[in-house]
Amino acid sequence: MPPIIEASAVSKSFRQHKRFPGVLGALKSLFTQQFTEVMAVDGISFEIGRGEAVGYLGPNGAGKSTMIKMLTGILLPTSGSVCVLGRIPHAERSRNARQIGVVFGQRSQLWWDLPLVDSFELHRRIYKIPADRYRDNLARFSEVLALGPFLERPVRQLSLGQRMRAEVVMALLHDPQILFLDEPTIGLDVVAKDAVRRFLREVNRERGVTVILTTHDLQDIEQICPRLIVVNEAKLLFDGPLSLLRSALGSKRRLKLEFAADPGPVELPYAKLVSDAGALKHYLIEREDVSLVAVLSDLRDRADLKDLSLEEPSIEELIRSVYAGGDAQGRMSAAPPRGV
Amino acid sequence: MYGAVAQSAFQTQLAYRSQLWAHIFGQFIQVFFKIAIWQSVFGSLAQVDGVSLPQMITYAVLAGTVLSAWEWARLIQGIDVAISTGDIAVFLLKPLHYPLYLLASECGNLCFRVVAIVVPIVLTVALSYGLLPPASLLHGAAFLVFWALSFLIQFLLSLLFGLLAFWLMTAFSLEWLLQGLLALLSGSFVPLWFFPDSVTALVRHLPFAWIGFYPVAVYLGKLTPPQVFAYLALGVVWAAILGSGVLVLWRRATLRITVQGG
Repeated sequence: MPPIIEASAVSKSFRQHKRFPGVLGALKSLFTQQFTEVMAVDGISFEIGRGEAVGYLGPNGAGKSTMIKMLTGILLPTSGSVCVLGRIPHAERSRNARQIGVVFGQRSQLWWDLPLVDSFELHRRIYKIPADRYRDNLARFSEVLALGPFLERPVRQLSLGQRMRAEVVMALLHDPQILFLDEPTIGLDVVAKDAVRRFLREVNRERGVTVILTTHDLQDIEQICPRLIVVNEAKLLFDGPLSLLRSALGSKRRLKLEFAADPGPVELPYAKLVSDAGALKHYLIEREDVSLVAVLSDLRDRADLKDLSLEEPSIEELIRSVYAGGDAQGRMSAAPPRGV
Repeated sequence: MYGAVAQSAFQTQLAYRSQLWAHIFGQFIQVFFKIAIWQSVFGSLAQVDGVSLPQMITYAVLAGTVLSAWEWARLIQGIDVAISTGDIAVFLLKPLHYPLYLLASECGNLCFRVVAIVVPIVLTVALSYGLLPPASLLHGAAFLVFWALSFLIQFLLSLLFGLLAFWLMTAFSLEWLLQGLLALLSGSFVPLWFFPDSVTALVRHLPFAWIGFYPVAVYLGKLTPPQVFAYLALGVVWAAILGSGVLVLWRRATLRITVQGG
């Protein structure tokens, strides 16, 4: 099956007016025309097949949003090409728009002053959604995401979590083939994050909607996206399944144990002690299959255990280890591109 | 589809009820203020430059309230906000033409303001001071057409100024510039009859004149039927020129968004 999204050697650079500091500098900026080129996306290529769920991951400023904007046709690549559903997105923006759904975590597409349901209704008429399709979709989505209690409320009165759920629903009302999400869980609390993630997974698995989401939260990827694309400083670092990245990097989780008083040495067969401050001990766990439950059951006899936590490596840590391990990087670029 | 946009703009206005009351109140004061000025200007004179006081009161209500019902400044401010926050990109994501979307939405706003502000004021003034009827059935019908044209030209001018904010980065000064031009050149306050002849020759042919002056001149029967059609045609030509200006500017603006990211 041909890929649904193709990016080949895509680059995007922005020209920024060079500014000079201070009052004299401000005057100077008025009369000079100096620019600095900022590279936001640098020679990135990938292909995404129909029905995939792909996480586009990177730290802030890595060029994630820029890529999404190019794929949705809001931005024109400086060089290279993008192709979505067989079309060049910016050249056929309107036709493209009818078949994709887009959610920006930091930008609302709802009509601020209208009741939520009126925003949906307006969306129906702009996208010319058949009435029965619209009714079915709205009923189904608002049930799963529990929009019922605030459908009649003006959007400006909604909480961020409610609003994001509504944004996702609106982006799906016209049955798009691809759903793009730019930081859909940013700023949400745990409950709202979980609701959005579960919904996106369902939309991908059950409706077959191709999902591409940018995030800097690894949890988003783990729960929604089998495939991961990592970018940093405008360049592609990794493309493949998350498990491959983990094992390639030997990524470690950090286990923190806090005791009421210093218990003396505590040995765990699968964990390496990295710091011991008596009552507070840090371990690193390399094995993938060790769960928090396993740790807990090993420690069940220790009545003085006050608290424990098992932390996933953050995206920043992962990227740091990509840079640190030259060997791992070699293995990664050998990873076969998927979805072809 | 654009009908839905107009309808929701109308509904959005309803969301701000307290603002509406303040607006109605302000508009009432303005109208009575203008009438008071014209009354003192005319004093005991029956006519000034061939215009009578009742005509002038009708002029003040038509040009000052009916034809100025639409809030052009809000359009410019809205575009400015959309540009500075980058929300304008969202409109590129929808299967919509942004200028047409704005036109539809402003039609909704105009309808709302006609119902909420124009109708009460016209009725009040008609009952208290008396308003002249249109000079003839033809002039009355022509006025409605000129009214629509007046709105279209105001909309296109404001959109043109609003889109300039893409390059000048400040809509505020543009708004002031347009406000000055409109106040002076549209005849919405002082009719062009009272301008010196040398100035009128120019001002009569600028698009601003179709916003306030010509529609009321038509209503009061100051133009003969052939003149009505001639000026209607000229106004349509102006609207077409402004419309193509908007399209060109919008094309360049989209290019700017897509190339430079806003």
